[in-house]
Amino acid sequence: MKVLIADDHPVVRQGLRQMLAVEQDLTVVGEARNGQEVVELSRRVPWEVAVLDYNMPGKNGLELIKELRQRYPGRAVLVLSMYPEDRYAVRALKAGAAGYLTKESAPEELVSAIRKVAGGGRYVTPTLGEKLALELEDNRGKPLHETLSDREYQVMWMIASGKTVRQIADELFLSPNTVSTHRTRILRKMNMKSNAELMHYAIAHHLVD
Amino acid sequence: MNDLAHGVAVETEPPLEPVVDKAKILLVDDEPKSLFALQELLSTLGQNLMVAQSGEEALRLALRNDFAVILLDVRMPGIDGFETARLIRSRDRSKSTPIIFLTAAADEMTSMFRGYEVGAVDYLMKPVVPEVLKSKVAVFVELFRKTERLRESEDKLRRLAAHLISIREEERAHIAREIHDELGQVLTGLKMEVTWLAKRLKDKPLIEKTDSMCALIDSSVQTVRKIATGLRPEMLDDMGLVAAVGWQAKEFQKRTGIRCRAKLPSESKFDIDISTTMFRIFQEILTNVARHARATRVDIDLALAEDHVSLEVVDNGVGIQDDELHAKKSLGLLGMQERALLFGGDVRITGSPGHGTRVSVTIPLRKSK
Repeated sequence: MKVLIADDHPVVRQGLRQMLAVEQDLTVVGEARNGQEVVELSRRVPWEVAVLDYNMPGKNGLELIKELRQRYPGRAVLVLSMYPEDRYAVRALKAGAAGYLTKESAPEELVSAIRKVAGGGRYVTPTLGEKLALELEDNRGKPLHETLSDREYQVMWMIASGKTVRQIADELFLSPNTVSTHRTRILRKMNMKSNAELMHYAIAHHLVD
Repeated sequence: MNDLAHGVAVETEPPLEPVVDKAKILLVDDEPKSLFALQELLSTLGQNLMVAQSGEEALRLALRNDFAVILLDVRMPGIDGFETARLIRSRDRSKSTPIIFLTAAADEMTSMFRGYEVGAVDYLMKPVVPEVLKSKVAVFVELFRKTERLRESEDKLRRLAAHLISIREEERAHIAREIHDELGQVLTGLKMEVTWLAKRLKDKPLIEKTDSMCALIDSSVQTVRKIATGLRPEMLDDMGLVAAVGWQAKEFQKRTGIRCRAKLPSESKFDIDISTTMFRIFQEILTNVARHARATRVDIDLALAEDHVSLEVVDNGVGIQDDELHAKKSLGLLGMQERALLFGGDVRITGSPGHGTRVSVTIPLRKSK
């Protein structure tokens, strides 16, 4: 499979080259330092998968993806970005990218992503997949935390952040009794039994960091 | 006075006259003789004396000049002194120009009251006592100068603040870019090197080491990202204000547990300086909510019109009090106002105890080049 590497940082390009060199079925056929070079190189070199840094000097990442998709609909663009998925992945995929990986991803993941998109497939990381699934689910019915009142939401957030009833009471200028009442109602509304369950839910739904 | 000139006062201001423009004084009288007498009398003040022989003429001059003081004869054919004064005062530019009425001693007290009603600051009987007139005019000239100086220094402060704001913004953007791009990429490269190394290792303890190195690098990358985004969110430049506000609102909810509802227009990019201004004001508003409001909910409404962008942020907290609004300490609020003002915008804050605070920001959009 012919792979194009595009990144403005020599260290990253070098790392990628090394990483791909060990894979028998992958060949790096070109390297570009910016969007302009990608476009120029693409005219001469028939790559199959481009591993693209989202944020190179010059052309904006989304524009570059769109342009490549338009000109070479048969080739796959895999975005490898410094930015976390939750901010850019969906946009990149909508613009026509075949996959989105952050640079923290394990090398094996990158290699298997390249193979997958080269065959015309799309690659979505498990975390992003989960997020998209949650969004679908959320669109069908109101997510559980939306049934809470504003105050209950705040208390739920504080519990999920690991605060004790006393701490919450102090911070919100409420009596511990009131906080406990809130907690009981929250658990009932969300159909849960423990703080741990709440925490798990909050993390899965990105309600806390 | 002479002592000052000869004494140690070398480091004080240079002599006033050459540096400061002369203040303009308008003399209005239908009698050429009286005008001449006034001119003679006031010429020793060394200011710029302008004369008018009728109310109409005086009005014309007042349209184009800022006078330190106007001496106005009450009795004139055509528009009389009172009417002239009323008209002068009705214009924005000259609405606070001091007016001294001059009138013959025969005039009654009633006309005097009329004079004060239309904005006279003083009233002199003819024939005027030269010393009295001179010293009164001198007071107004001095007042005028001080006002001018105050305005100048206000203007300078404002320009300085604007300069500092833009420098800070540039610097932040620059540092964010350097940290994120350079440091971040080096870390990425480093991780790739370590992974390469790890693949060739057979020794279990060594592999464990490289694993923990990778974990360390990952957390460094996350820190780098957090610092860079904190300095300047890259989405502001990448995707524009609408996306950045939406993101910031989500972040705020995640960080504080205060529920945020954002009503956003469809994404579009416009003037980056105005976007930055709006975004920073938005951040400041949220900071205030988190710090003082004790709110459980924030409603955000960002709207784009043809010629302006507006933002409304309403919380359900304790509500800002008027005395807090006007407190000298509230530099954050002042900062928002100054930022908006730089682009001809406006920040309005209203609050009532127990009913939350509402902040409305409007900034006109410059016509695109």
